[in-house]
Amino acid sequence: MRGTRVVQMDVEQLEQEARSALEQAKSLEQLEELRVRYLGRSSELKLALREVRDRETGMRLNALRQSLEVALGEKRSALEHGELQRKLLTENVDVTLPGEHFVEGHLHLITQIRREVEDIFLGLGYMIVDGREVETTHYNFDGLNMPLWHPTRLPSHSLFLNDDVLLRTETSPSQIRVMEAQAPPVYMISPGRVYRRDTTDATHSPVFHQVEGLAVDRGISLADLKGTLLHLMRALFGEKRELRFRTHFFPFTEPSIEPDVSCHMCDGAGCPVCKQSGWIEMGGAGIVDPNVLEFVGYDPEEVSGFAFGLGLERIALLRHRVPDIRLLWENDLRFSRQF
Amino acid sequence: MKVPYTWLREYVPIEASAEEVAARLAVTTAEVERVSWRGVSDSNGNFGNFRVGRVLEAGKHPNADRLQLCQVDVGDPEPRQIICGAWNFGVGATVAVGLPGAVVPGGMTLERVKLRGSASEGMIMSERELELSQDHSGIMLLPDDWTPGALLADYFALGEPILELEVTGNRPDLLAVYGLAREIAALYRLELAPPPGTDPELVGDEPVQISVDDTGGCPRYVGRLFREVKISHSPPWLKARLTGAGMRPISNVVDITNYVMLALGNPLHAFDLERLAEGKIVVRRARPGEEMRTLDGVDRSLDPRDLVIADANKPVAIAGIMGGEESEVGDDTGSILLESANFEPVGILESSERLKLRTEGSNRWEKGVDPHLAEQAAKLATELMVKLSGARWVGHADIQGDLPERPVIRFRPERADELNGISIPPEEQRGLLERFGFGVAKDWTVTVPTFRARDITREVDLVEEIARVHLDQIPFTLPARRAMWGRLTREQRLRRRIEDTLSGIGYVEACTYSLVDSDPDPRAIRLPDPLSAEHVLLRTTLVGGLIRSLRRNLDAGNEEIALFEIAHVYLPGDGDLPDEPVRIAGLTEGGFARAKGAVEALHRALAAPEPSFEPAGELPFLHPRKAARAGAVGWVGELNPELAPGEWGVFELDLDALAEVVRDVVVYEDVISYPIVKQDLSFVVADEVAAGSMIEAAREAAGAEMRRMDASDVYRGPQVGAGKKSITFAVAFQSSEQTLSDEDAAALREKIVGALGDRFGATLRT
Repeated sequence: MRGTRVVQMDVEQLEQEARSALEQAKSLEQLEELRVRYLGRSSELKLALREVRDRETGMRLNALRQSLEVALGEKRSALEHGELQRKLLTENVDVTLPGEHFVEGHLHLITQIRREVEDIFLGLGYMIVDGREVETTHYNFDGLNMPLWHPTRLPSHSLFLNDDVLLRTETSPSQIRVMEAQAPPVYMISPGRVYRRDTTDATHSPVFHQVEGLAVDRGISLADLKGTLLHLMRALFGEKRELRFRTHFFPFTEPSIEPDVSCHMCDGAGCPVCKQSGWIEMGGAGIVDPNVLEFVGYDPEEVSGFAFGLGLERIALLRHRVPDIRLLWENDLRFSRQF
Repeated sequence: MKVPYTWLREYVPIEASAEEVAARLAVTTAEVERVSWRGVSDSNGNFGNFRVGRVLEAGKHPNADRLQLCQVDVGDPEPRQIICGAWNFGVGATVAVGLPGAVVPGGMTLERVKLRGSASEGMIMSERELELSQDHSGIMLLPDDWTPGALLADYFALGEPILELEVTGNRPDLLAVYGLAREIAALYRLELAPPPGTDPELVGDEPVQISVDDTGGCPRYVGRLFREVKISHSPPWLKARLTGAGMRPISNVVDITNYVMLALGNPLHAFDLERLAEGKIVVRRARPGEEMRTLDGVDRSLDPRDLVIADANKPVAIAGIMGGEESEVGDDTGSILLESANFEPVGILESSERLKLRTEGSNRWEKGVDPHLAEQAAKLATELMVKLSGARWVGHADIQGDLPERPVIRFRPERADELNGISIPPEEQRGLLERFGFGVAKDWTVTVPTFRARDITREVDLVEEIARVHLDQIPFTLPARRAMWGRLTREQRLRRRIEDTLSGIGYVEACTYSLVDSDPDPRAIRLPDPLSAEHVLLRTTLVGGLIRSLRRNLDAGNEEIALFEIAHVYLPGDGDLPDEPVRIAGLTEGGFARAKGAVEALHRALAAPEPSFEPAGELPFLHPRKAARAGAVGWVGELNPELAPGEWGVFELDLDALAEVVRDVVVYEDVISYPIVKQDLSFVVADEVAAGSMIEAAREAAGAEMRRMDASDVYRGPQVGAGKKSITFAVAFQSSEQTLSDEDAAALREKIVGALGDRFGATLRT
């Protein structure tokens, strides 16, 4: 009987032979030959399976088929992997050639610094106010306790549209508007453009960017101003920076000071950047004058505040060693793309 | 303010070096720009090389007509032979000699030299060579009672440090050497000398005819009369001080007025009495149409608001600002009326602004000079007039208006501690205020000295006096917060996202001036008194600035140019102040489509619905046929090639309008669960039909299940016929509720084909 022949077929020997042949296959082509021989349509196993009649033999043969198919699959993966690896080793790229070109954009240096300062003060819980640039003398001078005789009130220092309206000379008017609109406490900074009747040169521009800061609350002191500005200066110029106050005079603050930061170029030893003094002037600041608080309806006996103003261009020039402020306004891509 | 250091030491016995004092003052008092040096260096005993010499013999150099050969006694056993090029002296003259080895100002070292065969052992110095004045017309002639061989440094400040202070407007008291000495005495706890100036004997009783018509403008006028004045040069010590303070020595009388101003801070003026009509002084406002020629030789028309010093007929000086040429003291002046007055600051400031005339005097008056100073200034001037010009003091007048009271302030030391953030014992605060010249009563009532009366009127001003000497001890703290938060507003976050998106797609941010030379809007606000012709108008668009930047980059040969700016523009409105909306403008190489692509990308990045683009007709800056409105957000177009060579895309959007269309919260739409069905549909349609209108009509017809419809190809040519075009759209159908069957997709397609056929006569190409 043919069935008997199948049963008599030495399954174990077939498995041994097939596995050993698969094991030794060297290429995908060889592997395909083996598949045809052992698992193909007219292979001994397939023929036997077709003819088998008893259940037990069928299960044995099927198990053998499945295990051979798994072994074949594994071997195929191994051979494919090996072939791919060999192929990859024949491929090459000159890694020193440029990559595919993308044109990258850049934020203006002033925007980058503005955002840095904003983020520092957001972290301290300040809000950011975008004030208006055309202002009334009421907010630009009167509200800031600027005496009638103060030179900035003169057309020789400021840019007027008429007797009562001018281009703001500092970002401070936005403080007055905010304080008028809300009760204390106020913690705010206001970055933006300001205008002076200055002739353009390497360090002056009739338009430049300031950032103004204001904190009004119970018990605000010069010490709070000192701590806040130290934090700001270290964030901008490095953790090693020190801060000192020098006395000064501004109508809207009393006491008034100018903050100096220890020179980031020489660490205070003295160099051309700090004019050998070890310190760099950073702007103006002080305790908000009680007249300013009264102007907006705050009670100076109840709350006190500090205010400061810094020039963003100045930070750019100092920190990035930009030699001429005009570079910031010319928008030459050879400049802009550096930052 | 330049302060010669030895002058300062006359009033306060400060031991510290000028540099040490400068460092201290910079923190507590006033900025010190630098410590410079006037005159001869004192290092390595150099002062010892400069001696008084007496000329024993003088004659023409045997081999040089223009040189003198002199034998000069410089205190050594033998006279020295010195060759000199000057001829303004002879035998017996007392001169200043620099010996070999001397380092002269400028750094050159004198050496023994041979000139035309004769040895010269030193140099006879001119005033300029010693930095005493600009005079180099001859050598310096010294008083004959000076001892040959004595050191020049024993007679005047041969060289000294100069403190160069930048005094703030609230401290006019520091615009005087004595005022600065007073500050230093307080800081260093030293004893201050009494103010300089003691009246000599009045040797006449001539009337001084002064009338002050305007005591508001001139609260005090001290006038003094001098006879037998001899105009000559000032002595070296005075020249050294004036030069050190940055002023030019002129003649003894003029130098005295300047010296007193520098010493005490009260500007003075000397009139030639003979040239005052009727010998009178009238302080009044100018009359309409009055004119005068000032000392600088300029004819000035006066304004009735200007305070003038007049004689019986006409103005002879602009009060506090500048004297007149006519009454100027000259070489032949014999009688002088000396003015030591006080003028009100604001009037002086305004006059000096009107006349565009600023002087050492006006600079002091406009900051406010202590009215009590006039008398002391008169005393010092009188003492010097008598001493240095041999004058007789023969008359005196002192007209006083209402002099201001000294402010009295209630002071709380604990309030100072609160505001300064540092604890200073009350008695220490009291001591400090007293050293600064304040009277402090037991109950802390503080009386302000007259020289600080304008600056210090409130408690907080006293708090600053305490603060400024403790600035280095103030600790570093942060405010103790009870309330408030910090966050960006919606507009601020939007602005940052726009900045990031545009820079992300290759745009470089520009920053251009808000003041421009021209603007397309004729209503743009014009500055009545602009800084320059380039900065005349407040811009209503950012595009002009970008075009200017573009040209600069083209000139520079830069490539791949794409610029954007976000800034305010200024639109005249109904109110007093213009509207100041924030605009976003871009300028890129590549023409209309490139700019439009950026606007589309920006909308996608902001998850805002794309605006509908419609032809805009003619817009400023743009190609007349390549300009579109982008919904209500702004416009996009191609730059008119007149403005820059090549094809440039431009857009300008409004931040607020963009904020309107940006959703606060984007809600999820299911575009994942069910598959998308894509089809390409080509239509033949009349050439003038805009792709956008077709898409709009298709969307209306097919509804939300038409997810996308993008024009992908436009063809014009013989195959479609004249006046027509073939336009291909990539269409995508998708439902968020079910898988669309082939029948569903076909139905949607039929709706679109039908609608476009009805609306535009479009036929589907198959």
